[in-house]
Amino acid sequence: MLPSETVQLLCLTASSGVPLFSRGSCKQLPFSVIGSLNGVHMFGAGQGALLSSCETERDSRVAWRVFQDSLMLIAVSGTAGASSELHLRRLLENAWNCMVLVLGQDELANVRNVERLKRELRSCYRLIDRLLERGGKDQGFMGDLTHCADCLLPSQPGILQETLDSFTRAADSEFGCLLVRGRLALATDKWWRLAPQEVVLLSALVNSLSGTTSCDYPVFLPQGSPTVAHRLLCFQLLPGVVACVLCGPSPSLQRAESELVGRFWSPVVEALRVCLEQAERSTLPPSVRLRWDVEALLIINRESRRAVAVCPHARGHTPSEVPPLSSPAHRWELLRAFYTFAVTRYFTSEEPVALPTSPPSATAERLHEEFSLGFTHLPVQCYLVTDDCKCYGLQTPQHQLFLLTDLSVPTFALRTVATHTLNAISTPTGF
Amino acid sequence: MPTVPPGSIFVTDWHRSPESREYFNKILYKKKRRKFGLLEAPVMPPNLKADTVRYKVFISGKSGVGKTALAARLTGLEIPNVHYETTGMETSVVFWPVKLRESGRVLFFHFQLWDCGENVMCRFDHMLPSCEEQADAILLLFSFTDHGSFEDISNQMPRLTDPSDRVVRLVVGTKFDLFMHTDVTESEITAFQEVWGVPVFRVGGDVSSGMGEIAPLLNALAENLWHQDCAHASNSLSPPS
Repeated sequence: MLPSETVQLLCLTASSGVPLFSRGSCKQLPFSVIGSLNGVHMFGAGQGALLSSCETERDSRVAWRVFQDSLMLIAVSGTAGASSELHLRRLLENAWNCMVLVLGQDELANVRNVERLKRELRSCYRLIDRLLERGGKDQGFMGDLTHCADCLLPSQPGILQETLDSFTRAADSEFGCLLVRGRLALATDKWWRLAPQEVVLLSALVNSLSGTTSCDYPVFLPQGSPTVAHRLLCFQLLPGVVACVLCGPSPSLQRAESELVGRFWSPVVEALRVCLEQAERSTLPPSVRLRWDVEALLIINRESRRAVAVCPHARGHTPSEVPPLSSPAHRWELLRAFYTFAVTRYFTSEEPVALPTSPPSATAERLHEEFSLGFTHLPVQCYLVTDDCKCYGLQTPQHQLFLLTDLSVPTFALRTVATHTLNAISTPTGF
Repeated sequence: MPTVPPGSIFVTDWHRSPESREYFNKILYKKKRRKFGLLEAPVMPPNLKADTVRYKVFISGKSGVGKTALAARLTGLEIPNVHYETTGMETSVVFWPVKLRESGRVLFFHFQLWDCGENVMCRFDHMLPSCEEQADAILLLFSFTDHGSFEDISNQMPRLTDPSDRVVRLVVGTKFDLFMHTDVTESEITAFQEVWGVPVFRVGGDVSSGMGEIAPLLNALAENLWHQDCAHASNSLSPPS
């Protein structure tokens, strides 16, 4: 249906099937195909069946979802089979969240004037296109897939955390965070209590504004405040270091910038520079030493829904005959693929339940859950050996680790390497 | 306030002169424009002291005329090749060195450009006041490919040329490179300039790393702001008559 490696996202009104927009992929699907895709879903609904996804003979995949009984989103992937069902389902949910973030739920749930809505939806294109292009995939951002915030662990968080807390309070807010090279380095307690998807989405919004010095964006929180907008204020302290607060009507952008930014952040500018330098090397503090045969890893804190992804630039202390590492982009891709493999087959409890606001899909998720409950046991570890690398997944009550190692690691030793790596990260950093 | 002719206060084309190189190097990094965070500013060695003067500049114009692209052009950032609506208020910073003609003093102008999407401005009413609050200058944008945007500015001019407020207003026509599709004629521009006594700047096309494309606009902006401040200072110093 589409060229390989591409995904197209379609949006239609759920009741009448009027196309509202189509993003992604250079060549748009013909209207007849869009109509058929909508029709087949509608036919299913008429028969009391919910069509949520399908795969074509040529490895193309389609996923449907209706939000708020108002809008239907359809994702269609190209023929390479590169997009998993998980990816498409997350894409639909993320795209909807983007639309709520920019326009608010009222605008989307009660469509009064289709032409007006079409025009307004244009304001969501920047975020949606970033999602489709998977902006930042070469830097290993995985929040769109994991729904965990992409974090980095600064080596000396103390003083910066204090500064962030007092800066946030001074801006009449309790929600503040510090992003370094696009990743969350610090956040206030309240920020961590936002829904994980919201944390991911807000980071994505800030990262899409890389050039601006400061900004004031109205945002609706898809879960926390879908109908009342808050203001997201962002301040680029140094290129690559952004402080954000989520606040109400005051302070004005100008006042926050002229009165608060310098007062709170100037005294710690050196600490910020250190943090920035560290971020250029790794998402982990220098005190964490990884084994040389670790090619990439993703560690998730299951309670706080935070994730740290690591892809070493070079091997440390290598035996000389070892071939060099493959490109980071390739390893990030493998890590995403292994994550998808592990959470869809083994660590299924991590699969989030759908938004409570959309009954049809909630039914689907419940069915899926009942199916998983049919298993008498819950896998806690899994592994996979490929031509490129060996993969190991590990689940504890607190953490999940997805590890890619060099082929030279003996398969029987993978568990030890994984356990050792998990401890090497979690013990010194308290992650 | 009438606009000042270019070069009357500052040295013209100073960015071309070799003596300016040390100053302009401070706003460059690896031959591209350097990005400054809020906690940063160009630092000159003690023998080349230059004061920094800060101004707030509001970029105003219809949706799609190229406000964000102009801000990117002036700050030396990559100009986006796809048009996306700006769904909030954004500021960006430009440092621009100038040399005073009379005293030979060098100043760094710190322009904070305020850019806000037209549609979001209509939906949330705190945006426009926030952009206009304490603005020192307004850049009025129209697009050469959209006659309506030019008419809008012509219609706004009578309201905007209030001599009592202290706001510098300059008119900028964008997308000048798309001359095949141009919708605003040269004679209209000439007429506009004669009627309102306001110069019209033209921008568009590719940006090379050189300062040539942006220097006329930034110099005019700096010169008019400086002139406005000097006039105000002398007014407030002179005894009431």
